Amino acid sequence: MPTVPKPPVSGNNRRMEQPPPVTVEAVRTWDRPWVVIPLFVLIAAVGGLFGSFTLSANLLVLAVGGTLLWLGMTGRTGRRPAPTQLGRSAAWWLVPVLMLAFVELYAFSKHSIDDYPTLSLLADPVLNTYLARAACYFGWLTGFWALIRR
Amino acid sequence: MSRIVIISLFVVVAAAFAVVGWLSRREDSKIPTFGDMSGFVMQYQVGKVPVGRVAVLGFWWWVGWHFFAR
Repeated sequence: MPTVPKPPVSGNNRRMEQPPPVTVEAVRTWDRPWVVIPLFVLIAAVGGLFGSFTLSANLLVLAVGGTLLWLGMTGRTGRRPAPTQLGRSAAWWLVPVLMLAFVELYAFSKHSIDDYPTLSLLADPVLNTYLARAACYFGWLTGFWALIRR
Repeated sequence: MSRIVIISLFVVVAAAFAVVGWLSRREDSKIPTFGDMSGFVMQYQVGKVPVGRVAVLGFWWWVGWHFFAR
């Protein structure tokens, strides 16, 4: 015969249904937005100072990118669960990706900097200004961070 | 003229990314988000080698190097 739980005594929540125990994942202190975002702002502010083709720019990108790649490969950051399979609708992403590949390859194949500029050639004048360069650097870093957490 | 065409095509590409991204974030959307797509691709392994992860993270590293250092 099933037993009926007694109603809780007023002012006492000891009989309330308790939530299941939550698995607490150990989150490292540095693996939090309030640590990572200021750090990325700082790196982007410094990275924005270095022009292309300089040793400093190369060293910074290689060091920061290498560190993030290492973090991503070793799984030292938290990761979101990824889908085990994708539906047919995922093919919609092929539209912009293939368009980008086609336009980029077509422009590259023409070997004409002025008439058929590639994306990086178009980006060069923008990235020559400090603010835009630092902002794009920050975007690259946050994109990297988002990827290694997948 | 061809320069304007190429720039316009890049704008169309950016708009296409924005539209598909927006569609994927609608409620009950069947289109996965770009993050889910990346996560799915990064799961791909050949044996114990995480080929998908190396490819995606390596590509993003190269993007940064190409735009900020080269």
